Amino acid sequence: MTSIDTTAPKLRRRRRSYSHAARVGGAIFISLLFLFPVFWMVLTSFKSQVDIFTTPPKLFFDATWATYIEYFTRADIPDRLLNTVIVATGAGILSIVVGTLSGYALARIRLRGAATFGVLILMSRGVPPIALAVPMFLVARNMGLTDKHITLIFAYCTFLIPYVMWLMRSFFVSLPKELEESAMIDGCSRFGAFFKIIVPISMPGILSTLIFSIILAWEELLFALVLTSRDAVTIPVAIAGIAGDTETGANWAALTAVGTVTVIPVVIFALLVQKWLIQGLADGATKG
Amino acid sequence: MSSPNSESPRRARIQWGDLAVRWSFMLPTIVLLVLVLAYPIWYTIEISFSSFDMMTFGAGEFIGWENYSWVLKDYRFWESLWVTLVYLMWALPIQIILGFGIAYMINAQWRGRGVLRALFIIPMVVAPVVAGGIWRMLLDPIWGVVNWALGLVGLGPYDWFGDPNLAMATIVIIDTWRWTPFIVLIATAALLALPRDVFEAAKIDGAGRWATLWSVALPLLAPVIAATFVIRWLGAVKMFDIVLASTLGGPGKATSVINLFIYEEAFRSLNFAESSAMAMIVLVLTMLLTGVFLIGSRKLETMH
Repeated sequence: MTSIDTTAPKLRRRRRSYSHAARVGGAIFISLLFLFPVFWMVLTSFKSQVDIFTTPPKLFFDATWATYIEYFTRADIPDRLLNTVIVATGAGILSIVVGTLSGYALARIRLRGAATFGVLILMSRGVPPIALAVPMFLVARNMGLTDKHITLIFAYCTFLIPYVMWLMRSFFVSLPKELEESAMIDGCSRFGAFFKIIVPISMPGILSTLIFSIILAWEELLFALVLTSRDAVTIPVAIAGIAGDTETGANWAALTAVGTVTVIPVVIFALLVQKWLIQGLADGATKG
Repeated sequence: MSSPNSESPRRARIQWGDLAVRWSFMLPTIVLLVLVLAYPIWYTIEISFSSFDMMTFGAGEFIGWENYSWVLKDYRFWESLWVTLVYLMWALPIQIILGFGIAYMINAQWRGRGVLRALFIIPMVVAPVVAGGIWRMLLDPIWGVVNWALGLVGLGPYDWFGDPNLAMATIVIIDTWRWTPFIVLIATAALLALPRDVFEAAKIDGAGRWATLWSVALPLLAPVIAATFVIRWLGAVKMFDIVLASTLGGPGKATSVINLFIYEEAFRSLNFAESSAMAMIVLVLTMLLTGVFLIGSRKLETMH
């Protein structure tokens, strides 16, 4: 009687531990599979031409900075990197300022008609970017605004402001109302309450939303492709050019080196704010 | 004596002032979005009903529905819509099923869980154009590491970019690689939020694994799955970068999704009026379908 009682849970636990080990093993295997392309990109960026085109593909080789030196001393790649930094941070900052204000308005301020605007802006997520790229190109061309950083910054507002606004709105809704109510009873104006009380305590949320916005702008291709030609060309456009260059064959060295430099800063930033990223995603899917 | 006279205009002024303050939170967003969002859409509508004037490089004379009827008669437009539909019908279900499956595995109780979850962020933030480029390298028929690995187990070699069906598979694979992690991250949170006691009750009632999944877990997850689907749908209809960097729409037009097709019509063939009409058709279609999906997901939410 007692023996049955002790062996049965043990057996069950062992069977559970097998399936548990399979789950953990599977999870690790799949994660590695998902990371492999990035790993391979970084690896290839350190290969010489001879080591890139081999069968079987080489895992061990003499690492070289040659590709990086070649492409990052050439004028166009550093320039494009700088353009991307300017445009992405510019668009990110403009959108976070404007979108935080309207997100707060939607969350806390009673405004007749504001909710309608909110819904309209949410609906804009269904607008195909190409429907904006064509008219933007024509207008910018007629106004002499093509190939300028400011044009791209404004173009990126089309998707960044709605994104920031709705993310910040759900953030502000989760704050206790007493915060600004008590501040306003103490004689703070609405602006005062917002800038002195709400903004400081929301800083982590604002900063991580800013980082996501910069990432989104950093990766954007279509508007950059259409609105720039020489001076304001961004890195995604350069990469599309390298990847689509079929005349000189596959330039994997350039692709992987430029790709690595594009991706690594973003990965670092994303990992820094990962807790917020996951939280924001989960909220976006369940509450949005 | 003077108080009623001086008080009432002051109160009115204060209220006006307060209204201005209230609206000033909303106003910058409205002004900017009217400028960069509403006006371009309006201009697209205008061009779509006009002939395109190459001299002024803008909308010419009004020609009614002519561009639309031209587009609707263009078999390439329909072909491209079909390509987009095929891509969506493969990519979205695969990504959602895979995403929730992986999330289930990752959620196993062990020390490295948080690390794995963080690592899944990495593919998500690889710029789509870089993703397309790297996969083009990985899937290269001759030098690619994927064909080499498949060759080890006796498969292939596959011509990932030359065969129309395989090229579509290629697009779906790249898109799935980049977007499944996004679903994994949502799904891990959703799975952790599931109420434990319901599953214990199902176990006590003797429900098997599949029965538990089918009649306990899925109904509970339905709202999250629906929401994930809508978000993913809104991203997937914008598919452009990955295709441009990997298959370039080829071979032939096999992977020319609608955004790439309109882009090429506008900026390579300079058919701005026709491509505006196409963009408007796609806009209306997207809005309608998004509306249907949103209503559907609301229904799911109220059902459970």
